[in-house]
Amino acid sequence: MALIELTDVSKLYGFGDATTLALDEVSLSVERGEFVAVMGPSGSGKTTLMNVIGLLDRPTNGNYLLDGRHADRLRPNRRAKLRRDRIGFVFQNYNLLPRLNVLENVALPLAYKGMTPVRRARRASDMLERVGLREREYFFPRHLSGGQAQRAAIARALINNPNIIIADEPTGNLDSTDSKVVMELLSDIHRQGNTILLVTHNPELTRYANRVIYMYDGMLVGDEFTAIGQMASGARRVYYEKHELTDEDIVSGVSKLLSDVPGKELAPMPRRKTKRRKRAPRRGKAIN
Amino acid sequence: MWNGNVKSAITALRQSKWRSLLTMMGIIIGVSSVVTVVSLGEGLKQQIVGQINSLGSNVITVRSGKLVSGSTENSLNLLGFFSASTLTNKDVSAVSKLPSVQSVVPIDFVTNSAKTGGHEMDNLYVIGTSPDLPILLNQKVNYGDFFDDSQTGQNFAVIGSNVATRLFGELNPVGHSLVISGVNFTVEGVLAPSPGGLLSIAETDFNSAVFIPTTVANGLANGHTDLLQILAQSRGSDLNGTVSDIQNALNQTHNGADDFTVLKQDQLLGLTSGVLNIFTAFISGIAAISLLVGGIGIMDIMLVSISERTREIGIRKAIGATNRQILNQFLVEGLALTLAGGFIGIILSLLINLGLRADTNLQPEITVWVMVLAVGVSVIVGIFFSVIPAFKAARKNPIDALRGE
Repeated sequence: MALIELTDVSKLYGFGDATTLALDEVSLSVERGEFVAVMGPSGSGKTTLMNVIGLLDRPTNGNYLLDGRHADRLRPNRRAKLRRDRIGFVFQNYNLLPRLNVLENVALPLAYKGMTPVRRARRASDMLERVGLREREYFFPRHLSGGQAQRAAIARALINNPNIIIADEPTGNLDSTDSKVVMELLSDIHRQGNTILLVTHNPELTRYANRVIYMYDGMLVGDEFTAIGQMASGARRVYYEKHELTDEDIVSGVSKLLSDVPGKELAPMPRRKTKRRKRAPRRGKAIN
Repeated sequence: MWNGNVKSAITALRQSKWRSLLTMMGIIIGVSSVVTVVSLGEGLKQQIVGQINSLGSNVITVRSGKLVSGSTENSLNLLGFFSASTLTNKDVSAVSKLPSVQSVVPIDFVTNSAKTGGHEMDNLYVIGTSPDLPILLNQKVNYGDFFDDSQTGQNFAVIGSNVATRLFGELNPVGHSLVISGVNFTVEGVLAPSPGGLLSIAETDFNSAVFIPTTVANGLANGHTDLLQILAQSRGSDLNGTVSDIQNALNQTHNGADDFTVLKQDQLLGLTSGVLNIFTAFISGIAAISLLVGGIGIMDIMLVSISERTREIGIRKAIGATNRQILNQFLVEGLALTLAGGFIGIILSLLINLGLRADTNLQPEITVWVMVLAVGVSVIVGIFFSVIPAFKAARKNPIDALRGE
């Protein structure tokens, strides 16, 4: 049984003319222990997909089975508890609470679980030891460097021993050294058997993943298994094989490049899991 | 259960000290004024109760108007206090002729101004009365003497301590003269200061009173005096018998009109504290409006604080806070705000209390239950006005909250 099982999940935002389709019948299944990198241009629905999987958002349509149970029909209370116990979030901008010190930030999920202050401080302290921030316990987030803040955020995500870590561009605000530290940490967590979903724009980071999925316009357009340590071929193709750049590509930048990734150029799909929908080419539209 | 809510609330308040203080202002003012007013009322009541108790239990008071309807002291006819007196000198002589009555003291209002050579005072009470007043009311005379039976036809006056200082300054007034309605009076004595103020025994501040013999008073005003009260001392211990004697005598002089009230000491006590309670409640009610206004201020600031902290709410929800836990967090914050306001208000009212005791002759009496009540009310205000903002916070969609800044 897959840990995460999405079937035809759609998500609509807005009303009437302003309706946008953030997810368009996405089907995805993630096994326990996978390290999935999610790539795609901005606005392709990566974050919405993560929010649905992370129980922060409900799909408008479709089914979501988490651990074999329907997660899309749960009450808000139940969802909050699942978020607390099963899912750890790591955000691009760390999202530490500025008024709490590092230790309190890390211990917060335990507080919501009802643990006594002494025990949760001890647990949080141990967790900070693991991410190498023991001596920064009583610092406030504003006194930390980006890399340290992100490590603290990871410690907070891990404190309840969740089985799913959702990292939404965790290295987006970090320099290469800090990125490496954070990625090694995530990799380490993965080696201990956790499932990790990593949203990234950086093809280099697909080296840490054993599976890469590509999204475009709310659709899942590519799904590729790769060996850890190797860059995904889809991402490689975009960056290393497409030599001729048109003016349009330069204007619209990397997002545009990634939009050319679509699945048909990818190596044959190792699994039939993703349902692909044919659409009229929309390049002209995208540039507007 | 509290999972750091209290601590987080206190940090949130300390984060914006000025804003918190200004927000609490309404609560502070409300609590301190309610506590002060109630304690003033309480203090006044105790003074008057003490005064009435010092009358001696065999004193019976006859008042103008029907103050008590039915037999209970609780149903007060407040209008009876303000209408013109229905008592007359005939009533005084009728009561004094009763065998069961030992002595009678009328309180007969004549005019409200008096002057000496250099000074004039027009907010005093010139009262015609009988020489028995100091004995009956346990009123001490500081200088000189009260006029006695042999002086009742003559122009002698006994003045209160305020009148003495206002009209005569540092001088000992005894033997000096005083002009009331163009007639010269010789000051015979000065009364010891009495604590009762305006609400004492005959709605007369004895400190600002000038007592003259009844016969002189009647001559002075051509009989147009305002007989406020008749105090009578029972001869025997059968108070109820004396009361009904007086009642019967007055029924005759009033031709059966039911426009007077005969009260024993305990009834007088009930009556006085009844009046005081009504006034205290009325003024505290006005003061309590500022508690309401303060509550609205708190709701306002809570709403602002929540929209400022949208992101924080989103983060907390993302890491697993339930709606209820978010709700609690903001309830505790509102509660901390009002509780702090309540405590500051109580401290303020204690200071006001000290100031009043030092500067005036009022003796405000702060009781524990007033403080408990004030804090309790501020807690209720806090919860009541934080509920809506807290619900708003709790029901925020985590996605929107995370996205918002």
